[in-house]
Amino acid sequence: MSSLHLPQQMLLLIIEKIINNALALNINHNNALRDLAGKTLTIKLSELNFPITLTANDTQLLVTSIDGESDCQLFANIAALQELQRHQQLTELIKQDKLDIQGDLKVAQRYASLFENISIDWRTELAKHIGDVPTYKIEQFSLWLSAKFKFAAEQIQADASEWLVHEKQLAVTSDQIEDFSTQVNQLSQRLQQLESQMNQLEKTLSTDPALAAANNKGQTVE
Amino acid sequence: MSSSEQAPVNPKESSDSDNTTHFGFQTVEKHEKESKVAGVFHSVAQQYDIMNDLMSFGLHRLCKRFTIDASGVRPGNTVLDLAGGTGDLTARFSKLVGREGKVILADINSSMLNVGRDKLRDQGLVQNIEYVQANAQYLPFEDNTFDIITIAFGLRNVTDKEMALRSMHRVLKPGGRLLVLEFSKPEYPLLDKAGKFFSFNVLPKIGKLVVNDSESYQYLAESIQMHPDQETLKAMMEEAGFEQTTYTNLTGGVVALHKGYKF
Repeated sequence: MSSLHLPQQMLLLIIEKIINNALALNINHNNALRDLAGKTLTIKLSELNFPITLTANDTQLLVTSIDGESDCQLFANIAALQELQRHQQLTELIKQDKLDIQGDLKVAQRYASLFENISIDWRTELAKHIGDVPTYKIEQFSLWLSAKFKFAAEQIQADASEWLVHEKQLAVTSDQIEDFSTQVNQLSQRLQQLESQMNQLEKTLSTDPALAAANNKGQTVE
Repeated sequence: MSSSEQAPVNPKESSDSDNTTHFGFQTVEKHEKESKVAGVFHSVAQQYDIMNDLMSFGLHRLCKRFTIDASGVRPGNTVLDLAGGTGDLTARFSKLVGREGKVILADINSSMLNVGRDKLRDQGLVQNIEYVQANAQYLPFEDNTFDIITIAFGLRNVTDKEMALRSMHRVLKPGGRLLVLEFSKPEYPLLDKAGKFFSFNVLPKIGKLVVNDSESYQYLAESIQMHPDQETLKAMMEEAGFEQTTYTNLTGGVVALHKGYKF
């Protein structure tokens, strides 16, 4: 396992760089980081064999694999973290044993709030480096490109449908499905009618004595 | 005979005599080694970081990060970064121990200490760092002072390693730990050969190119070969009083991190 120590450090270094760059570009800059100074949150993911410990100081967040005392320890898997991010179902996840928290819950909440409040104005940041006009042009180009991609995706989907229905006849059209379901409904109605006619006939046979006698006679002759 | 073919002297043999030790592959009087090592580091101090990046392809930074993580440092701890040189470990320790903690950057070499101090001040790290010019063998601190002591790529330059380890043990608090990051013996023979080739043939050339000093880097290459291997250093730490001593090989044993506790 010794060979994995350095890749692990590389991963933590990259995570730390990304977080701190994001914090530096955050337009919702507040004192959240300063308030967290000296507080540690350790996240133990079942998929990783090392902990991820976040330690805040006045200016940045340090990401280490220090295992030991921590203000708050969070045990989970990546899926549970994603669920937590999407639905905020902290109590529900704890009840389902998908998440366990030890220590000061407020520390975990403050760290979560720090990340949730990160908002980056990419347009302004890009303009700082390449200027306003190129930024505007890049933005327009990306909008144009995005529209093209959307159109192409729709076109590919439509063409694929055509090919499957008409060329390969592997799929059916919505009209064909509608026809089929109408026919099934009609058949079902006719069956119900037939069933009620048969019931009626049976009832008549059992209540009329002459018909019942003739019926019995016929059965005896046979 | 090329440098790489020189037979290294066993470190134990070389220090059999009370008055001699090794300076690279040379046997020198103990009192001479300090000044010779000082000469090496006065010469390379200004370009030390660049040279480290070139020599290790940046891996030394990851090794140092691993050392810090293995130390289990907590906000409020008192840390001694011994032979701390240009302050790589001190910078990160300073951020991790926070306002309540303290880091002492100690180095025997004034040039290295000055470079380290300038670098850390430029990074705005001033609040919780103190600078001390100190010999690892005679640490000028009271008993039981530090939670953590680290010495990264420094122990092999110390004249009397046993004495230095005892001194570190003395100034550690009970429950404190020492972390020694140092070049060591590669686990694989091929890696060992490649390492020796790089150390003796490439390293001095890079030194000549960047710092205009190939001799200092020739010494560094020789000192790596002369440094005790993993098991020997572990035994030396235990002899100095450290307990639960372990080591972790990094990059196939080219570098190893030793860790020991004082109880």
